[in-house]
Amino acid sequence: MKPLPGLLAALLATSLAFAETLKINGSTTVNLPVAEAAEILRAEQKLDIQVDTQGGSSGGVSMLGDGLVQVGMTSKPVSDDDRAKYPAVKFREIHIGEDAVALIVSKDVWDGGVRALTKQQARDIYESKITNWKDVGGKDQRIAFFNKEPGRGTWEVFAHYLYGSPKAAPQVSFPEVGGNEETRTKVGSTRGALSQLSSSWADGKKVFALALKLDDGSVVEPTEANIASHKYPLSRPLFVLTNGEPAGSAKTLVDFLLGERGQELVKKHGYLRLKDLAN
Amino acid sequence: MRRALDLALAGLAALAAFVAIGILVGLVAVIARRGAPAVTWTFLTEQIRLVGAAGGIFWNVVGTLILLVAALAVCLPLAVAVALTERVWLRGARARRLVRTALYTLNGVPTIVLGIFGFIVLVQGCGWGKSWLAGGLVLGLGMLPTVAVALIERLHAIPAKYMEAAAALGLRQSQIVWAVLLPQARGGLLTGALLALARAAGETAPIMFTATIFAGATLPHGVKDSPVLALPYHIFILAQDSFDPAVGAKLWGAALVLLGIVFSLSLAALPSRLRAHEEAH
Amino acid sequence: MTRAASWFFSLLALAAFVLLAVIFAWQSGPVWRAEGAGYLTGAKWFFRQHEFGARPMIYGSLAVSVIALALSAPVGFGAAIFTAEYLPRRPRLAVKVLIELLAGVPSVVYGLLGILLLRDWIYTLCARFDPLSGDTLLTAGVLLAVMILPTIVTFSDDALRAVPAAQRRAARSLGLTRAETILTVALPQAARGFGAALLLAFGRALGETIAVFLVVGRRDNFAPANWLSPRALLEAGQTITSKLGSSETNLAYGDPRHWAAITGLALVLLAISGSVTVLGAVFGRKADA
Repeated sequence: MKPLPGLLAALLATSLAFAETLKINGSTTVNLPVAEAAEILRAEQKLDIQVDTQGGSSGGVSMLGDGLVQVGMTSKPVSDDDRAKYPAVKFREIHIGEDAVALIVSKDVWDGGVRALTKQQARDIYESKITNWKDVGGKDQRIAFFNKEPGRGTWEVFAHYLYGSPKAAPQVSFPEVGGNEETRTKVGSTRGALSQLSSSWADGKKVFALALKLDDGSVVEPTEANIASHKYPLSRPLFVLTNGEPAGSAKTLVDFLLGERGQELVKKHGYLRLKDLAN
Repeated sequence: MRRALDLALAGLAALAAFVAIGILVGLVAVIARRGAPAVTWTFLTEQIRLVGAAGGIFWNVVGTLILLVAALAVCLPLAVAVALTERVWLRGARARRLVRTALYTLNGVPTIVLGIFGFIVLVQGCGWGKSWLAGGLVLGLGMLPTVAVALIERLHAIPAKYMEAAAALGLRQSQIVWAVLLPQARGGLLTGALLALARAAGETAPIMFTATIFAGATLPHGVKDSPVLALPYHIFILAQDSFDPAVGAKLWGAALVLLGIVFSLSLAALPSRLRAHEEAH
Repeated sequence: MTRAASWFFSLLALAAFVLLAVIFAWQSGPVWRAEGAGYLTGAKWFFRQHEFGARPMIYGSLAVSVIALALSAPVGFGAAIFTAEYLPRRPRLAVKVLIELLAGVPSVVYGLLGILLLRDWIYTLCARFDPLSGDTLLTAGVLLAVMILPTIVTFSDDALRAVPAAQRRAARSLGLTRAETILTVALPQAARGFGAALLLAFGRALGETIAVFLVVGRRDNFAPANWLSPRALLEAGQTITSKLGSSETNLAYGDPRHWAAITGLALVLLAISGSVTVLGAVFGRKADA
């Protein structure tokens, strides 16, 4: 059951050529700038970096906690439950940018007149108390709600907004979508569709981001200005996580991400840079 | 009336055959048409860039090959052993039938179950983390029934008089195995291995928990924490997470390359299978 | 020496598979202890509340596999009859080789075709029935039907060819037409083999993960009151395999009860597809030499 000796020799030879491998896992949202940063560092500084997106933000936290990766990517803060689950781990959240979660709809819903929702309406849709767009000002069309997979930062931000905490959210059964792109595709190609998506991904062509009607009656759209000033309530921080202070290749990556070029990558992928934020 | 039935059956059967072949050939044609533009020399020799939107699939192909070699290395000794046990060492039709039934049953173990099994025992239990070897072991186990059965059938086809003659010459059982049986059955082993490899090359479920990541791995170093890239997983992730037009053609290109690998392995088994078929008839 | 080595490795292989069954039984212990048979009959799967019921997923797995069999059996049997009874040797071999080659198309590629083509076709074709989206149990079933087609054709063809040519010649010389020969001589004897083909294909459909994951909709807790209702097939659902292949498996690992529920699903899948496959193997058992 052992590999051929020749293969072993080749492997040993190549293993000597590699430095410490930096392993990263987590949110598909944060993945975009981080993966590109990793490519640049790999090309320029010959760093060995592995990036994966298993399990979304929760996967990022759990794999960092289990010691399987050195850097986690999350689009939500580390919760008290997570800290309690991994008491030996000193979660260090490094803020690299900001993003917002939008409620997106398909073209037919947008054209049908639905442009904003209140928190209560969103809750009623989530709990299947409202099932037709006509009940919120749109055409007569069944609401096709696609829920984000469990563990996705996008979902947790949504649940936090509607119910105060992901744990307080009621259990529902909707068809599931996974990453950002899958969500956009499904909503774009299904009549009456609604889902949660990173606002920078709502292109205004296939899918459209609804505004939120706040309690005071004002309507807030997920524009950059509103997200930066935190007027739009569904904003979320983009973090890279390390266990303790970052060191070695992890530090190189973090420094890059916080530096000029890294922040340009954040902006390139549609998110807000640290300096764009109001505070 | 009877003539009508005759024609009807012939017609329906022909229709069914054309539908079956049509669908299957059609889907390959779709993949070929959409993927061909993307498969260039650079595509095959470069690595992924921009999360699949640029660059090529070099390390994915390499990773798939590494997994296949490892799987074969795991599977061969086990398959040969099981086949020999069934054909040579076990007496009694009952026991032999039991082994064959067991093999057919094991062939039906869903690959996702094998993958999770590998995850529990190797990735977590042995602390390997994601490892090419874990993937190889799991794939090898999955390949075992196919290879063992192919070998058994080939051994079965060797005329009894060869073994009798060898025994009459005074050869021991083990000598008969190595000098007569296995050389004669080489074709069956080759056929089974190639077919099993063709199937293993396309598998995603066994490797996604045990051996592969999306980006960043090149050649593995050591056993622990040494994942590889793999074509099927690459396609699986991009199929869900990227319909960026830039990625589209590359996605089909990757699917076409994977199909090419799978078909090459299957076709390589063809001459041997045809020969066996000729001999049997 | 050779004998000892053979036995050693054979037992090693056996041990690996026994270990597999044992591990799943052991790791799923907590959920059996907590819910007992309720785990199988329970209709709700809410992992945050530690409420686990596998019934909707069992329904999903069975539904998509039955659709697959229903669609592909007629085509598969018909095609097998054509290749076995009507084609001369050379073309028959060519067709067999072609179909077996196509049997190797990986499931992820099928999934890709499902997402990019089949999903939209079903959504538009069935628009009259107002499906929620193109990802439904039916979509998964149709995709599976194409995937298991080669299995059915190959095994049915083998079953028909196993009927001796002499019998067919005798029937023809008695004046029976080709169709009558097939229907009265070949098919009855091949029936067992056809049954085996169906069972093996069913087992394969039950165990398929990737293609189903991509197009079934992945909606939990959906099972109609009447399992035989056809309209329900146009809804998004969840199969055992699509749940196992989802991100929930990774998520579940740290939580013993959740992990037990996941491995419990794997155990149920093993049991169902295992029995179907064993039945198929026993059914199609050739005479021993």
